[in-house]
Parts: sequence; C-alpha cells; structure tokens
Amino acid sequence: MSTSLADHLRALPDESLAALLQQRPDLVVPVPADIAALAIRAQSRVSVARALDGLDQFTLQILDAARLTRDSDGTSSVDAVLGMATAGAQPPAPATVRAAVERLRSLLLLYGPDDRLHLVGGIDEISPYPAGLGRPAAELDLRTAALCADPAKLRRTLLAAPPSARAILDRLAAGPPVGSVPPGALQAPPVGAEDDLPPDQTNGGAPTGSPVRWLVDHRLLVPVTTGRSGGAGTVELPREIGLLLRRDTGPLGPLRTTPPPVSAAPREPKAVDSAGAGQTMEVVRQTESLLEQLAVEPAPVLRSGGLGVRDLRRLARAVGLDESAAALLLEASYAAGLTGELELPGAVTTRHGADQQVVPSAGYEVWRAGSLAQRWEQLARAWLTMTRQPGLVGQRDDRDRPITVLSPEAERAGAPNVRRAVLQVLADLEPATAPTPEEVLEVLDWRAPRRSRGREAAHREVLAEAATLGVTGLGALTSYGRLLLADVTSGDERGTDDPLGLRAEAEGEPSTAVRALDALLPAPVDHFLVQADLTVVVPGPADPTLAAELDVVAEHESAGGASVHRVTPASVRRALDAGYSADDLHGLFRRRSRTPVPQGLTYLVDDIARRHGGLRVGSAGAYVRSDDEALLTEVMADKRLEALALRRLAPTVLATPYQVGRMLTMLREAGYAPVPEDATGAAVLTRPKARRAPTRVSVAARTVDPLTAPKLPMPRLLGVVEQIRRGDAAARAARRAPAVVRGQVPTGPVPVHSHTDALAVLQQAVRDKALVWVGYVDAHGATASRLVRPVSIGAGYLRAEDERTEMLHTFALHRITAAVLEE
Amino acid sequence: MSGGPLIVQSDKTLLLEIDHPDAQACRMAIAPFAELERSPEHVHTYRLTPLGLWNARAAGHDAEAVVDALIKYSRYPVPHALLVDVAETMDRYGRLQLANDPAHGLVLRALDRVVLVEVAKSKKLAGMLGNKIDDDTIAVHPSERGRLKQALLKLGWPAEDLAGYVDGEAHPIELAEAGKDGRKPWTLRSYQREAVEAFWAGGSGVVVLPCGAGKTLVGAAAMAEAKATTLILVTNTVAGRQWKRELIARTSLTEEEIGEYSGERKEIRPVTIATYQVLTSRRGGAFTHLDLFGARDWGLVVYDEVHLLPAPIFRFTADLQARRRLGLTATLVREDGREGDVFSLIGPKRYDAPWKDIEAQGWIAPAECTEVRVTLTDAERMAYATAEAEERYRMAATARTKLPVVRALVERHPGEQVLVIGAYIDQLHQLGEYLDAPIVQGSTTNKERERLFDAFRSGELRTLVISKVGNFSIDLPEAAVAIQVSGTFGSRQEEAQRLGRVLRPKADGRQAHFYTVVSRDTIDTEYAAHRQRFLAEQGYAYTIVDADDVLGPKLPTID
Repeated sequence: MSTSLADHLRALPDESLAALLQQRPDLVVPVPADIAALAIRAQSRVSVARALDGLDQFTLQILDAARLTRDSDGTSSVDAVLGMATAGAQPPAPATVRAAVERLRSLLLLYGPDDRLHLVGGIDEISPYPAGLGRPAAELDLRTAALCADPAKLRRTLLAAPPSARAILDRLAAGPPVGSVPPGALQAPPVGAEDDLPPDQTNGGAPTGSPVRWLVDHRLLVPVTTGRSGGAGTVELPREIGLLLRRDTGPLGPLRTTPPPVSAAPREPKAVDSAGAGQTMEVVRQTESLLEQLAVEPAPVLRSGGLGVRDLRRLARAVGLDESAAALLLEASYAAGLTGELELPGAVTTRHGADQQVVPSAGYEVWRAGSLAQRWEQLARAWLTMTRQPGLVGQRDDRDRPITVLSPEAERAGAPNVRRAVLQVLADLEPATAPTPEEVLEVLDWRAPRRSRGREAAHREVLAEAATLGVTGLGALTSYGRLLLADVTSGDERGTDDPLGLRAEAEGEPSTAVRALDALLPAPVDHFLVQADLTVVVPGPADPTLAAELDVVAEHESAGGASVHRVTPASVRRALDAGYSADDLHGLFRRRSRTPVPQGLTYLVDDIARRHGGLRVGSAGAYVRSDDEALLTEVMADKRLEALALRRLAPTVLATPYQVGRMLTMLREAGYAPVPEDATGAAVLTRPKARRAPTRVSVAARTVDPLTAPKLPMPRLLGVVEQIRRGDAAARAARRAPAVVRGQVPTGPVPVHSHTDALAVLQQAVRDKALVWVGYVDAHGATASRLVRPVSIGAGYLRAEDERTEMLHTFALHRITAAVLEE
Repeated sequence: MSGGPLIVQSDKTLLLEIDHPDAQACRMAIAPFAELERSPEHVHTYRLTPLGLWNARAAGHDAEAVVDALIKYSRYPVPHALLVDVAETMDRYGRLQLANDPAHGLVLRALDRVVLVEVAKSKKLAGMLGNKIDDDTIAVHPSERGRLKQALLKLGWPAEDLAGYVDGEAHPIELAEAGKDGRKPWTLRSYQREAVEAFWAGGSGVVVLPCGAGKTLVGAAAMAEAKATTLILVTNTVAGRQWKRELIARTSLTEEEIGEYSGERKEIRPVTIATYQVLTSRRGGAFTHLDLFGARDWGLVVYDEVHLLPAPIFRFTADLQARRRLGLTATLVREDGREGDVFSLIGPKRYDAPWKDIEAQGWIAPAECTEVRVTLTDAERMAYATAEAEERYRMAATARTKLPVVRALVERHPGEQVLVIGAYIDQLHQLGEYLDAPIVQGSTTNKERERLFDAFRSGELRTLVISKVGNFSIDLPEAAVAIQVSGTFGSRQEEAQRLGRVLRPKADGRQAHFYTVVSRDTIDTEYAAHRQRFLAEQGYAYTIVDADDVLGPKLPTID
C-alpha cells in the first residue's frame, strides 16, 4: 500500500504536491529525501493524527464512512460513502459529502480514483472504532457472528432484552462500542442465590441479575478481556448489532453538516462596546496599580520559578482583585514585557543562580505614557499570543504541588491557538451576539472534535479571561476586540506569506483596534471640582500632568471613570516638601478647579505652609557653645579658624561639619581653651594616654622545654611505617604501568586499544571493583598514567579512587587514551 | 458616550454631578438601590452595597432595572465586571425565605436547596435552626428570627422575610390635620409623607431626616398608619415630654392615652414613651424594666435618635422582629461603627434626604457655619505645649481667650436667641458668669430645665449656656444662633446635632448661625476639622474667620 501511495504522489502534478505540503506543513520538517520517504511520513501516526486534529466533525464522519465501506482489498468508493452517509433519517446533501471527500483527498487522507478510494495507513491505529462502531462480529466471536447472520433471530433477541440491558446497548451503540464491567458481573450467581440479587434499578422490577451478563449470555455483547477471577473486564458491541440499533439515525450516527446554531439574539452593539470599553479602562487601571504595588514591594522569584502564593494574594488584595484575575494580569503584563526579573540587591549567587525578584521593567515607563487604548492593546495582544495558561495558577500539578503565577508549569504551547479558536467562534457570529459558554463549547466541539475534547476547562477560562480583559463585553466580542483578533491572525499569516516584511505597517501607527477603542473611551480631563469637604473630583480620566500634580497634593480615594482625591494636612505637607510653595498650591487649585475654591482649603494650605519648616533639621560634626556671645564672635572672626567652616546657628552656638577632635586641636592651636562635652552636656576630661601593646606572657612561664625531643607514641609510629610502605608499593606499581597506558610506542605487535575498548574495560572494572591502569592526556597535553579503582562512569566523567593518595579523582572520558586491568 | 450626570467608580461608589440637567432624574433612579454617602455642593457620592441592592430587591426592583439605570445615566462606559457583580449580588437575595407555615410555624424555606444546605452547615447559624421538616424547609424558633436574619445577611444569603408582622393591639390613632383645640390646620410635608410611605411599604426601617425637619411627625404619621398600641423609646425625659406634647397637638390622642415610663413615673398606656436610660438600668445585674416590651401587644416600636441606641437595647430588639420598628435619626454616624447593627436589627434605611434639599424647600432654616479661630496667648500656648497628651484637648478647648470672642459673637446678634454649647462644666460656669446667662447641665433638675427652656422659648431669656445634655431632642424653635466652644473630641454627629438646634425654620425665615470657636494651632483645630466632616459632606461649607475680626475692626498693621 505504501508503494501505491508513493506512486500516487509521484503521479501528482507539482502544484498539487505543493498544495498538499501547504496543508500538511509537518511533512517537510525536515525535507524528505524522496517521494518514498514522503509517502512513509504521510502515513506516520503523528502526521496523520495532526491532519485529523484540524478536521471538523462532519468530515471526520465521512472519513469513518470511507473506513466502514472498505471492501476486502481495503478500498472504498465515493458512491459507497455517499450511500452510507445518506442512509440516515436526515441525509446531508450529496454535494457536501463530495466536498468533504475532496477535503480528505486534499489532505491525502484518502487517495485514488472515485471508484477505488484508498485510505492512508495509520488511521486505524489512531481511532480504532470508526464512527463509534465495534469490530465485525466475525472478528470477535463465531457464535455471535452466527447470530448476526440470522437477522430474524437477532431482532427477536434484541426485542427480548430487558430495558436495563437495552439501555446499555443503546449507550454502546452511540459509541464508543466498548465498556468496562465491574468485577464479577459476568459470572453467574451461585445456584440458589438468584433471589439474593439486588433489584433491577433501571426497571424497578424483579431482579434479573446483571444486565450485562444477560447480554453476554445472549451473544449480543462479546467480552473482549474477561475479568479473570474477579478483575474488571471489557465488553464490545459487534458492528452489525450497532448498525442495527442505529436504524433511526443512520449508520454514522447523527450527521451535522454545519456547526450547531447559536440561539442567542444579538445584543445592542453599542451596549456591548460600552461594557467592554468600561472593562478596558478598569483592567488598564488595575494593571497599573498592580505593577505600582510590585514596584513598592517587589515579589521574590521562587527557586522553582514563579511568584509565591502569598505574594500573589498580597498583590491581589492590595489592588482589590481576586487571585485569578491578578494572576491573569500579572501573566499578561509579564508577557507584554512590562515586568522583568531583577537580581536582589546584594544577592549571593548560589548554585541556582542569584536570588531574583519581579519588578516593573523599563518598558513599563513607556507603556504608562501611552494612551489608554494603546496600553490596553499592548496587554490584550500579549494575552492573545502568550504561550501561558493563567487559569492553571492555583491548581496542582502532577506532583501535587501548587502551580504558581509566572512559573514554568503554567506554560502551554497550545494556549494561543486555544484562545484564537474560542474567539474565532465569537467572531464568526453576528456582531454583538452573546452565546452561552456551553454553546461556544458545542461549536468548538463540532469544528475540531479531536482537538477540543478534554479542553473544555481551558475554553471556559479563555471566555472568562476575555471578559476580564474587556475583549468581550456582555458576553459578546466587542468591535475593537474583533479588529484586534483579525490583526493578530493576519499578522501570523503575513509572517508566512511575506518573508521580507515588505507589507509591514508603518512604525508607530496605531492599529485599527486602538483607534476603534479610542473612539469609545472618554477623552482625558484637565480640570477638577473642589468641594467643601476637601475632596477633589476629576470628572473623567485625568490627563497625565493633572494626575501627577494630584498625586503630590492629595490622597487618592476612589478610582474608576473619574477619580476622587482628598486634600489632607499630610498631603499638603508632602506637596510643600516636594517643592511647592503655598502660592503654587493656591495657583494650582485656582487654575484647575472649575468651581470656586472653598475657603477651608485655602486656610488649610496657608496653615500648613505657615508651620512648614518651623523646625529645621541638619547634621553637624561638632558644635561650639558659649554663654559669652562676644567670645563666639571672636572665634567666628578668627582667620586661622576659617578652615573649620563655622556657622552661627544662634548667638551662643556655632556648628562645624568637622569632628570634635579636629575642632579641639584647631581651637587650642589658635590659643583658645575649649572643653569638650558629651551628649548630656557634662565636660569630658582628657588626660594623655600612653600606647601599649596587648599583654604577653613571660617565657619563664612556659611549661614545655623546647630542648627535649618530641615523644612519639607507638601507634603513631606504626602509622608512619604503613604510610611509607604503601608509598613504596605505589611507586613500584607506577613503574609497572603497561606500555600502552604510558603512551610509549610499544615494541612488537601493536594491540588495538581503542577508546571504546578502554571504556569497556573501565565499565567492567567498575562492576568488579578492580584496579585499572588509566592512561590519559592531562590539561597540558602531556600523557600520564595512574593506577586507580574506578567507582562510577557517568555524564562523560570517570570517577575513580587512587589507592596511593586515597583521593577521589575525576577523569574526563574523552581524555582517557587507554585503560588496562592490572594483572 | 451619553454625557450623563453619573460616574461609576470601580470601588462601587457613584458620583453624581448635581449641576447636570439630568441630575434630579438620575437621583430618583438610583436612590432605591444606592446609598447616599456624601452630599457636598458639587458632586454627591452614592455607594452600591450588597445591603442596598438587597433592599432594592426586597422593594421589588430587579437587577436589570439597576443595570439599566447605571448604563442610562453613566457618563462613561461602565465596567462589565461591576455590572456582573451587581446582578450576582442581587441574585443572592430571596433564595431563602422566612415564612409562616400553617403546620410548623416559622420556617426557613429554600428556593435553592444547595443554599439551604450551605447555610445549615455554617457554624454561625448553630442553634438557630430547628428540625428539618423536608429537604427544602427547616423550622425556626420565632425568638431567633432577628438573629437568624442578621446571621444570614453576614453569610451573604439574605432571607426574604415573608412571615410578616403582628398587627398588635389595635388602637385608633388619627392625624389631626384639621387642627385640634382651635389650632391652625396643617398638613404633612411631602418628604414626611414619602418617608412614612417608604417605611410602611418596607415594614421596618430607619428614616434619616435632618434635625428640625419634623421627625416626630413622621413617627406620629407612622402611628396613625399602624393604628395600634405604640412603644416610643427616647433619649431622656425632656425629649419624652416633647413627644407627648407634639402627639397631643398633632394626633387624635389625648393626654390619658399617653403614658410616660421614666425614672419618675411608670405608666403603661396604649402609647407609652420610655427612656433608654430606664430600660437599661439594672438592679443586681438584671435589667428590671424589660417587661415593658411584653407589657402590651405593641403594634409599633419607635426608636428616637436611633444613632444613640445603647448596646443592651440592640439585644432586646433582636427579639422584637415580629413587630414593626421605626428608627428615627438625623445622623446615622455612630462613632462606635455599629451602623450595620442598626440596619440589620431595626431595619434598612428606608428614607434619606440631603439636608440641603430640605433647606432648599424651606423646611429647615438656612444656616451659615463659621469657624472662629482664636490665637492663644503666649502663656496659654506654653501651658498647652507642656501639657500631658490627655489634657491637651481640654486645655485648648477651654482657653480663656475664647470668652471675649464668645461675648463678641453674642453681641453680633442683638435680639436673637443664642445658645452657647460646651462640654466642660468649668468652662460653662465661666461663660455663664461672663455672659450673665443661666446654665443647663446634667445636674439641673427636670423641672428647672423645663422652666429655663420655657423662658427661652418665650423670649424672656436671650442667652442660654448648655452642656452636653442639650445635644439632642430639645426643641427650641426660636434659637437662631449657636456658639460651640468645646465638644466631645471629634464627634461628627454631635456637631450635626448641635447645628440642628438652630435649624427649626424661623417665623420670619431668618438665617441661622452656627459658630464654632477653636484654638488655632492646637489639637482643637484638628478635632474641629473632623467634627465638621459630616456637615461638610452634607454641603455645609464652613467659613473660617480670625477671632481678631470678630473682636473689632482690624487693627492697622505696622510693618
């Protein structure tokens, strides 16, 4: 079959072949050597599975039809497929079936002429039960085959099945056709114990024993792996019976040529955009305060990567978010390059690298300067394309450890595709249609059943995240969200289609999504309203300069569409400290306020300003004080003391930046008589102090006489002797090193001691714990040899014990030239 | 962008710009579910709280209406998450119901079985729930009704109370709007009517109206609505007598039908007025007058000045959940932060009106608030600087320098009734001597008080010095000027109540004046700022003047 596929490929025109490769790009990585290799690869399990993953439910069903209609030589025909597909109650149009067949052909899952359709190999391995039907009875059990061969009897048996058994049959007929049975279910109850059977719950009637046992007894189910002595077993429904049970729906089960419809009526597009835009403002503001929080108190990176649970909780609480939303924003802002790792100040570099913490990056500054819409777009774009799944944060991994935010465990390569698939479902609907999550999941399940199965949780997360980020509003995709999605998707296609980037957009041009969002967002406001309770209300998003001014002069109270600040004594003091004067503050309020400035505020500013700076604090090295003001004036005027840079703090106090000692010396040299005082004001008396070395002990006090010889105890002497003997033995041994090992050219026939032989010798030696001569090239290129006892080999290194020096040596394996067992 | 008057903040506050043409309509739309938090001159602040949203649900507003109102009036896009949160919060209301079962009495019934299972497991409800009647119903002992509702509220699953109220012992009460005993006819003011209607529709709750806006009449109208025996709880005996006077004048009740239950008299009549003090007095560790609550089958319990409700009364009130309860106050700020308990035990806020609105309608006198700053003498400053921390406020507040300023202020308003209010008895005595005015303080007998107040009302007495006893419930309609010299530290409600003393509308529509004299650069100024916060939030802008400007023409300055 493989040869015929290769032949088929060979016969294809170049364009068709290229089209095939475009649809299945994995076939050319790496480029196959010839057509035969391509054919083999096209039938490989991985490649076929990948091709199947992208198919929708209907196409897969048509493929199943082709599989079921294979005749004895393994080929099918378009007519047979058509016949099977249209056998059901609501047959699809033949054209759609043909189109599906063409699609399968273009993917090289089917090939050959219409009347001899071949299936590519590998499909049966990937999904063993075509269309959810079991194997033919003939392959399973001869007696069942006999039953199937007699349609009348089969029908009678089926009709005789008790309702509970019938329910099992129907479930298996809908697929998959195998089911597991509890241990012992297939065994007959002990004779005489039939009455002890539990009542039949499905029927509510008399006990009939296990319905599965009934079915097996009547040959309607075939045990595949019998539950041996009480173990769980598996039963399979033969294909013929499955088809019989599917009389109403058709052999392939219910067929659906289009995705399941969405019942939700479109909402008002303006309402959707408005709700989404409100959310974008919110999410940008939350991200900013999250990152500000991170700047104030950076979060340390755990050894295992990511931020600790406690840090996440702290950040979330500070911003007023729940943890999952905070995790989402942290992940998105990290992906957008707004945060980065920084080594802890004074961190010690350990084996794991230096301790790091996550702080806002330089990119954050740029981001903060952008408009609301631009900031949002940067976040949303990062979210769309990041290979992370923030929904995993807080769950536990395979080893039951919690997955933390920004940790490697939350990395999912498929995440961008999942997001795009989900949002594409919304984008394909009428604008402003808000389907329920269940409806979205159903559509996804139809579009690519093989891909979406088992990812329902991830899909729901995407919908929730999109709502949090304002990509959707009221459950529907917003207009700007649609533009962003189209932009990101086309960006990917452009990347493949336009290798030189010729069609790239002009730098700095805001994208269409930004422009659309900009139109929805309120314009920045440059004024505020001041009220008698000293609150300052900015009735809209504050313009950056206004926001910066308010940050200094008022406390932040509430944020959102507008912002509320309160002027407090502390905030006025802060403004004065920052260099504002009282007049500046009055001017600021007058200029920015749309309402008359309340008198209370004016008073507050004046009051604080009056007292501001009433106390002055500075540092000095020393001071001079005297009750005699004239004396201090004299000191001030003394030219010899100019170097002290004296400053008169008060009529009776002078201060200098220099230390007390220097001041004293200079004053004394100049002929004054200063007295130093301590912190309490008491005079410090000084007397000259002689310098002395630390106390030492007299020689006479020593207890040991240096002239007597040291005494060696016997055990120690014996130890010395043993050491000498061992050294001698080792020295002699060294002389005995085999020639090959010593690296000398041996005389006579050259024994073949290749590197691999050396390795074999060493491995044997490790096992035997034998001594080995190892010849090796040292770091300077010189050859050397050593007698060692190998301990282990691994990671390119030999670890061995040198008996002579009792040390553990490590030899790089590639440096070892030879190894010989010691005779 | 609709350009509406409302701005929705992410911390669930709503900012209403009142100069906007749609502001009034917007206020009507959001008032049912948002609580008015501050109402200064330009931007009013409302807050969305779970409690407020649930009350709106109880009053028949659904989440969709709330969301619509927010979207309709919002100037900027409303964050989607906030709308979702509003809908989810409102959805939690009414999953549980308290109802009267014909067979089992009071029961907790679930429309959502999972919620019942969740709350039944909670430790906070331990002991409140009785036997399980079926999967959806659990019996509740009637005495636990209040506590259960409170606990369910804390768990976030407020129960809809369908058990209703007992009618109580019927007693005919009518409003005497036609005039009684030759008095002039009168009608209930519009906001009083609205307040009573809101209260009656809700069954129980608190009505917040400014001082002087006629809260007594709201109580009287509620009684006329209930037509049942009524227990009225007031702060002190004088206030109780005022209630009595007012009730006799404004309703069909006669002197014989109203009883006074106080330290002096213990009368129990169809309408009984009791003081908090007598109810909370104990003998041998037991509350001896609790029987009053069960003395009659009261159909209505009125709590006057509910912001002063003492803690033991809270506990008694929890047992009164089957009776209609009406709380009256001007300032629902409790310095002990127990506003939440007032709401859950007496009932949610049913009516609230910004002070300035009532003023604009002419029902309370317009008032001008002035803070007079006194500069301490050097000697006083020195004494203040070296005083112990706990003595500092007293030192600053009772500075002698304030005396001439107070006299100058009194002289500024010749011919007007002036109240001088303070907290420190020594200071009041000094003032009394200095101004030659009588003093009303805690030790003054009720008889003497009545005499002095009567003299003041009649205009015989022009200046009266009162201590903290005058903070509440004294009705001195003609007082037009109040001068505050010291207070209970930074108490916001005290400041508001004191302003309230001068807010009764004057016969000639005169303006009221409220002065607070503070010592500059001391802790007195800081407390004053805190005290003024409530009024500032109600839109009363304080003007600050220097004591020197009060004392006389400005001295020419010499540079």
